[in-house]
Amino acid sequence: MIAKKKFIISLSVLFLLWAVTAVVSVLSGTYDMSILEALFRGDELAGTIFYKIRIPRVLMATVAGGTLGICGAALQALFRNPLASPFTLGISGGASLGALIGIRLGLAAGILGFSMVSILAFLFSLLTMIFVYSVSKVGGVVATGRLLLAGVVMNFLYSAFVLFIQFFSNFTESLQTMRWIMGSLDIVGLDEVWKTLMFVVPGCIILLSITKDMNLFGLGDDVASSLGVNVKKMQNLIYFATSLSAGAVISVTGPIGFVGLVIPHILRMILGVDNRIILPCSFLLGACFLMAADTVSRTLISPVEIPVGIITASLGGVFFLWLLIRSKKEVIV
Amino acid sequence: MQTIIECRGVSFSYGAGEILRDINLSLGKGRMLGILGANGAGKSTLLKILMGILKAQKGSVLFNDKPLQSYDRREIAKRIAYIPQDPVFAFPFTVSEVILMGRAPYIGRFEFEREIDLEAAKRAMDTVGISHLKDRLITETSSGERQLASIARALVQEPEVMILDEPATFLDIKHRNEIMNLLRKLKEEHGILIIAATHDIFTALFYFDEIIMIKNGSVFANGSSETVINRENLSSLYGIDVTVRREGGKVFIYPGD
Repeated sequence: MIAKKKFIISLSVLFLLWAVTAVVSVLSGTYDMSILEALFRGDELAGTIFYKIRIPRVLMATVAGGTLGICGAALQALFRNPLASPFTLGISGGASLGALIGIRLGLAAGILGFSMVSILAFLFSLLTMIFVYSVSKVGGVVATGRLLLAGVVMNFLYSAFVLFIQFFSNFTESLQTMRWIMGSLDIVGLDEVWKTLMFVVPGCIILLSITKDMNLFGLGDDVASSLGVNVKKMQNLIYFATSLSAGAVISVTGPIGFVGLVIPHILRMILGVDNRIILPCSFLLGACFLMAADTVSRTLISPVEIPVGIITASLGGVFFLWLLIRSKKEVIV
Repeated sequence: MQTIIECRGVSFSYGAGEILRDINLSLGKGRMLGILGANGAGKSTLLKILMGILKAQKGSVLFNDKPLQSYDRREIAKRIAYIPQDPVFAFPFTVSEVILMGRAPYIGRFEFEREIDLEAAKRAMDTVGISHLKDRLITETSSGERQLASIARALVQEPEVMILDEPATFLDIKHRNEIMNLLRKLKEEHGILIIAATHDIFTALFYFDEIIMIKNGSVFANGSSETVINRENLSSLYGIDVTVRREGGKVFIYPGD
């Protein structure tokens, strides 16, 4: 099938899936009667739950899941490696520490509406990514082993710092941090969504504008250059855009693992490896996945709400284990 | 002979080490040009300078009488195609996807391939003879098939010049012959200037119109393959005794006396 047709069909199907998941997600939850019915009766509590909690939450899940998905796909193109993702590269860990420092220092205020906490998360992500990239590159090629090791080590280091901050926090602060570190979409109102979008929208536009270059980059630096790609500029744009958008998301939701790893992987199994298709589809499927995971986290043992990071990590982990076992005879690149 | 690429006093160095020194060349249309030289003589560097990926510190490269650096990258990509020695295929694209990537310089940032691009890819696959591979994953093809796919990808760029780094090194004699005949065909039918670095004296002798020998970063000999490939030149180029014997229209080349 030609790329354009595949692009249109897969995007339409995923958009429909997103819409269906969104409706189901909005309608399910702990509130113990049909929320639509209650809304029509003019129930004030139902209205609050619907507009202040459910809708913002579904939007946040869309923004967060979509961003993690698209960033995973972009990083995999940059590292020419299907195991790269915000989580495995230590970017999530970096963003978490950055955001936590911001929160503890009381930097809730922003600059021109951009939250200081998100800016710190962005800076930490960017530095982590540049560090991991330079450490894992041997003779111009990213070595998978070094890449994963560097990511794991960075995550350990960051969690040591987080624990250090935890140790000197009082009980309430400590509990808040704990909840946040587990990854959660527990927000009230649309403020957080808008604040995140201010970072995510430019980031995603940048990434979507260089998907063709990412494909060419998959043929090697020299061939990409010979086909008209400014390789250095493309790499810098991916660094910047993924740190910007993933950092902003993580500073609100905490580190939510495996979305960026699993989503592009599943899509490549079905749709092939063309980044012009994989990137936008990773946004949509990532959004669907996180929304669904959040719905499960709210309803599984309702009224108790399990942090959604636990759900995504367990689903993602099991999926990857299955992949490992299935491809036992292949060399995992 | 119409000159396409001209090097004027090109020198290049990495750090303190000088790789190329004062290279002067005039390369004409519709020729097949082999660059011979020992490992590390500067062949690959010269190729990268000829296509503008590396910039010479001294001297200049002219492309159709204009400095190569005055063209932007996409403009160069429509004129000069490059095929590396060991192409990277980091993701399992299909063969036809790889070939369509050669149309990138003709397609806008948010555009997909148009009908003419798909037709160009189809024609290139027919010319190269790999139409049956179009849906195969590039990662599951042999090195000969990959080389053919790379040539088809280069061909859809509709280039005036095709630059190849060791196009036949990893191939057996049958596939080597196939690739070289294909390159000759492209030269004759499409008027493409073919420039290839090679280690293989035999392919150089049989298939190329002209040989440039590079030694320690300088042009050491330059001329038709019959005149340039001889005992003195080869022995000096590779630093061992090489015998070249011409008998009844056949040429024998072997190390020693």
